[in-house]
Amino acid sequence: MILRTLRLRSFRAHDETTVELRPKVNLLHGANGVGKTNVLEAIHYVCLTKSFTATNDRYVVRQDAPYFEVEGLFEGVRSTETRVRLVYVPSEGKKVFVNGAPLDRLTEIVGMLPVVVFSPEDHALTAEGPSERRRFLNNILSQARPVYMDDLMKYRRARKQRNEVLRQYKKRPSPPPDALIEPWTEKIIMIGSRVIHRRNQFLHTFREYLVDAYERIDAVAEEPTIEYDTIDAFEESTTESEIQKAFRSEVERKREHEHQRGTTLVGPQRDELVFRLDDLEVRRYGSQGQHRTFAMALKLAQYLYLTDRLDTQPILLLDDAFGKLDARRTDVFLELLMSDVIGQSLITATRRSPFAKTIDFDRPTHGSMHVTRVDGAARVTPEQNRGDDASTEDASGTATTVPESPVQEQQT
Amino acid sequence: MQFTSESVEALVEQFTKLPTIGRKTAQRLVNFVLKMPREEVEEIARALIAVKDQVQRCSTCFVVADRDPCPICSSEKRDRSTICVVEESSDLLAIERTGEYRGLYHVLGGVISPLDGVGPDDLRIRELARRVDPSFADSEAANVSAADAREAAESGEAGPPEVGDEPHAGDGAPAPDDADGADGAGEDEEAEVEEVILAVNPNVEGDTTAYYISQLLEPMGVPVTRIARGLPIGGDLEYADEATLSRALEGRGAV
Ligand SMILES: [Zn+2]
Repeated sequence: MILRTLRLRSFRAHDETTVELRPKVNLLHGANGVGKTNVLEAIHYVCLTKSFTATNDRYVVRQDAPYFEVEGLFEGVRSTETRVRLVYVPSEGKKVFVNGAPLDRLTEIVGMLPVVVFSPEDHALTAEGPSERRRFLNNILSQARPVYMDDLMKYRRARKQRNEVLRQYKKRPSPPPDALIEPWTEKIIMIGSRVIHRRNQFLHTFREYLVDAYERIDAVAEEPTIEYDTIDAFEESTTESEIQKAFRSEVERKREHEHQRGTTLVGPQRDELVFRLDDLEVRRYGSQGQHRTFAMALKLAQYLYLTDRLDTQPILLLDDAFGKLDARRTDVFLELLMSDVIGQSLITATRRSPFAKTIDFDRPTHGSMHVTRVDGAARVTPEQNRGDDASTEDASGTATTVPESPVQEQQT
Repeated sequence: MQFTSESVEALVEQFTKLPTIGRKTAQRLVNFVLKMPREEVEEIARALIAVKDQVQRCSTCFVVADRDPCPICSSEKRDRSTICVVEESSDLLAIERTGEYRGLYHVLGGVISPLDGVGPDDLRIRELARRVDPSFADSEAANVSAADAREAAESGEAGPPEVGDEPHAGDGAPAPDDADGADGAGEDEEAEVEEVILAVNPNVEGDTTAYYISQLLEPMGVPVTRIARGLPIGGDLEYADEATLSRALEGRGAV
């Protein structure tokens, strides 16, 4: 799957921007804060209806603008050309149009345009609380299986309802009567077990993708593993009804505890993933370098898994992902981006030069763009390939007026 | 936003009380009303009052109707052995439009939703149980109502449950206290109920309500089936097209 053209209107720093993209590596370089990341965010909105940073849609609308709009023209999705447009109006919410037709539900788009993001926030995956890891899990599974996301949303709703019943009885001497709580307990067991079953099966499969990814970016012979810490220890072959049974007995066991706390204490909302390198638990004992490599391996494994599962290569978004990488890993990764393993990718960085050494921007498959601020709005200027210059016009055009300018790094 | 006219602002506020109407839409509606001829505005106002004053509920199936019992419950041509359970009167109309269903109905008045302060006893579930089995006693149902639970919440630290944008049980007439209407169309031998079809919406609250009802009716030995499996996920019964609804009615399955 290739994103050909991206259009942003009133999106963060962008007033009105059109970006033409190449099928392989696309570099967006420019000073910090000019609006490079916004371009990646816009792609994320088109593919998954939201940003990859925790952000309120309201703040994405450019100041004084009534709404924002992003549109992507894709090749190789279902038909030859797919035009996806997302509009957000603060008082009315988001709407997605595919080839002009509005979707009934936003989530219908998820999984159709797979996307994987590398960003500085990835360190939270291995370093911070369990919710980061559950979010990672949910992101992959939602893109891989639309029903998963549907179950997840239903589960959240049922749990909220059940929590309300428990909350009402928190201060009472006895727990809620069966007639009030039991239908909700049954509901969370049924849907929750489905969620856990999918996660369990996925994690068993994902293991080999992680090993593969780790080997690709680090020559060290440590073996990465993921342990799934949920209501019980399950085998790959554990069935959904066995999980239901375990779920049911856990709820029974925690009954009094749930009454005291006034909330649901059993279920996939409490799942945790434990990452290890051989026997070493990364979160507690991993070095800086091990954290970084593990997080990268997780994202690369996500990419490889989605490629297999969806039979198309996701778009890879690398937001300032090379800033802290050493030269060796940077090279390994750039080689990967140019290989067949990765399809189309977009990179944001402050400078062009470290990439120009490895990536031949003269080839028509790659492209580089310079992002600047002009009159308070972001401007994306494509830098012509030398090959293009020779064949079309003299180098007196845009290529000379927009040189790569490390000077501008001093801004902000 | 400030209005120069207080009555405009007042009407905007009134409109926003309606479900799915935000301030922006309310302002649009007010602008429209301002341009309407006075007679048309009066018609709307009269229709609003009439709906409250003249419309009543059928004491058997609780559909909104101009008379009690309603035309469906009093019709000789309907199959009295089947009851189709719906959330609201509008769902009943949607199913009637398909022309496929010849049985009777039962309007619950919403779905179980603790977040909206709606428990099983706030719906007409006991009334349904009594229609299926006239010997059904209240004690067999949930002894604890959600009203009880609300009391508990208020006496505790936490405030009353939040009421959502769309109150499910708040559609007017309260359910009768006694079983006075439960015998339906008269003193004649009522035909036995042989099937209960649950046509609640296929969402989390609808599923849970269906589960609750099927558990309650199970000891009565009457098969309980559920339609709406053919409906799109998250789809609303009221807005489903007739063909889809007809297929869903045919393909109903056990709960
Ligand atoms: Zn009736």
